[in-house]
Amino acid sequence: MSLLVNSNTIGAGAEEARGHSGGGALREIYDVNAQVVSVAVVPGEVYRAKLVAPEIARSARPLQFVNVEVSQGPHPFLRRPFSLSWFSAAEGLIEITWAVVGEGSKIMTQWETGTEVRVLGPLGNGFSLKDIKGEALQNADRPRLWLVGGGTGLLPMYPLAKEAASQGWEVALFYGARSMAQVMDTSRFVKAGCRVIVATEDGTYGSRGRVTDLLEPVIPELGHEDVIVACGPVPMLRSVKNLMALSAAPLYVSLESRMACGTGLCKGCAVRAAGDEEKYYHVCSDGPVFRADQVELGGAP
Amino acid sequence: MGHTDLSLDFAGIKMKNPIAAASGVFGYGEEYSRIGDIRAFGAVSVKGTTLKPRAGNPPPRVAETPAGMLNSIGLENPGAKVAAEEKIPWLRQFGVPIIVNISADTYEEFSELGTIFKDVEGVSALEVNVSCPNVRAGGMAFGLDPRSCYRAAKAVKDAFGGTVIVKLSPNAADITAVARAAVEGGADALSLINTLLGMAIDIRSRKPLLGNITGGLSGPAIKPVALRCVYQVAQAVTVPIMGMGGIRSWEDVVEFMLAGASAVAVGASLLVDPLLPERLTRELAGYCAREGIGNPGELVGAAWR
Ligand SMILES: Cc1cc2nc3c(=O)[nH]c(=O)nc-3n(C[C@H](O)[C@H](O)[C@H](O)COP(=O)(O)OP(=O)(O)OC[C@H]3O[C@@H](n4cnc5c(N)ncnc54)[C@H](O)[C@@H]3O)c2cc1C
Ligand SMILES: Cc1cc2nc3c(=O)[nH]c(=O)nc-3n(C[C@H](O)[C@H](O)[C@H](O)COP(=O)(O)O)c2cc1C
Ligand code: FES
Repeated sequence: MSLLVNSNTIGAGAEEARGHSGGGALREIYDVNAQVVSVAVVPGEVYRAKLVAPEIARSARPLQFVNVEVSQGPHPFLRRPFSLSWFSAAEGLIEITWAVVGEGSKIMTQWETGTEVRVLGPLGNGFSLKDIKGEALQNADRPRLWLVGGGTGLLPMYPLAKEAASQGWEVALFYGARSMAQVMDTSRFVKAGCRVIVATEDGTYGSRGRVTDLLEPVIPELGHEDVIVACGPVPMLRSVKNLMALSAAPLYVSLESRMACGTGLCKGCAVRAAGDEEKYYHVCSDGPVFRADQVELGGAP
Repeated sequence: MGHTDLSLDFAGIKMKNPIAAASGVFGYGEEYSRIGDIRAFGAVSVKGTTLKPRAGNPPPRVAETPAGMLNSIGLENPGAKVAAEEKIPWLRQFGVPIIVNISADTYEEFSELGTIFKDVEGVSALEVNVSCPNVRAGGMAFGLDPRSCYRAAKAVKDAFGGTVIVKLSPNAADITAVARAAVEGGADALSLINTLLGMAIDIRSRKPLLGNITGGLSGPAIKPVALRCVYQVAQAVTVPIMGMGGIRSWEDVVEFMLAGASAVAVGASLLVDPLLPERLTRELAGYCAREGIGNPGELVGAAWR
């Protein structure tokens, strides 16, 4: 299924409303030669870089990502997908934050101020409060947004937290990491007006346990005025989905998958549609954000 | 420095430059239109299209490998009817020659596909995919054996009538024998190479990385194999060749032409560098101008002529 005909998926409606329908084009994607303006190691054993990319910053939405060139030579061949952990249309800047897990993310640690890298974006549907339909929410005095982040899944949720808080939503973040060393800085969430609750698996920071242990006790309180957005490893998303099965509050999940193009060209980033053996969505173009009931979370990425 | 003309007539397809989009990295153009200008291509080959819609293979479907990638998409496509009635009519607006890449499990299906696309306005050629490693039945099997390739080519040519390109597999024991059989069956041109059958194993899970276990290898890693195939096939047949396999620079384009390709296609590299065709045409024109080459056609086969 092409993203063009799939009006069920998030973001499609909003784009139509913007009137980008000529020639079948939805959003524009830019391949920019972006200059690194700052790069640093930040708490949680992750790197963070800001890049000049005005075209991308101008049209980006929360939970979108970019595909980053890590080498100009033939190897590593593919670009690497990274979420926008922050962006500013006014400043023309985007920010990505990454954990070093392999060859590509390691090469990126050699970036310095002034390094130029090709960045393709903004990619994916992203997620905005405008995408949430439901009368109860529209009429709610103080709608609540619950963010559930595991590991690097925390990163892409900041732009959404900021958007929601600035529009008068009550925002809470449940964040789980393995151990204190991996706990990322959540102060920007706090500054945005968001309540932050952290758990580590070994109890070295926050409470001991998993992020789902933080979520579980509040589930009975959740209703039509609440929205939950989860981003993290698939097993975590699966647990959240199971926990939320009987709740009236809508649950959205942001997925990762192996990708080549990141733009819908190759159909390489398939994720199985829930309850349909013969249907796939594509994480890069239909997602990365899906309603949890749309997708099968059985397999690992 | 004389004026360089990049245009060519490729088996009746009027290409304004020799750079095409390879099948499977361009869909039917909709996604690409959000990123780049479709008019930059000399021709476009659309996603492998089958009679019935196909959902594709289970994920993961792509894996990076040294200087390349494996894919096991499994011919995810909306089927010939949707392609003919919606996708091609939309793509036609750009005025770029459209090559419809087709795949089938039987000769009868190939023939049916030929009949369906015969009447579709704006289809410049059919590209018969007898080389897809990612589907269990049929697919690559037709491209490994000269006799089956002959029958597949003939089935399409008889039904379609127009320009037929047969896309060859590097996995054949003797690619020149398959190439000759394709031409005997009625192929007006050949395209090569499709991907090489390969795999990757995840050492953590100790299991194959791709959901389909095996996949097709493409990208710069396969360029030497592709060049060798073009070099051999070009000397074995007289029909024009569209060369592909790892192309990512103007130097690669020139190499393929010297080996005997009249036109080339970009596959995996387009996924990494979507604006590649614009750069390749500009740089190829620059090279020709520097070398005093009026049309890159002069280069074709120079490595063995
Ligand atoms: C939409 C999206 C958003 C992401 N956002 C972030 C982020 O904000 N911060 C962050 O640290 N990581 C993020 N990731 C994961 C990130 O893409 C991988 O960690 C990265 O590609 C690893 O590259 P590597 O070369 O270091 O690893 P290698 O293992 O050497 O990479 C080999 C290949 O596998 C792919 N790959 C490996 N791990 C993953 C993974 N988890 N997901 C997808 N592909 C993978 C690589 O892209 C590459 O093609 C995101 C992934 C996706 C799909
Ligand atoms: C993601 C992907 C999908 C492909 N799908 C098709 C297809 O549907 N039909 C086909 O004939 N070839 C398909 N191919 C093969 C390419 O068209 C090309 O022959 C091959 O990848 C070699 O060129 P490259 O190294 O430039 O990619 C596909 C290749 C890739 C990478
Ligand atoms: S990564 Fe190519 S379609 Fe999603």
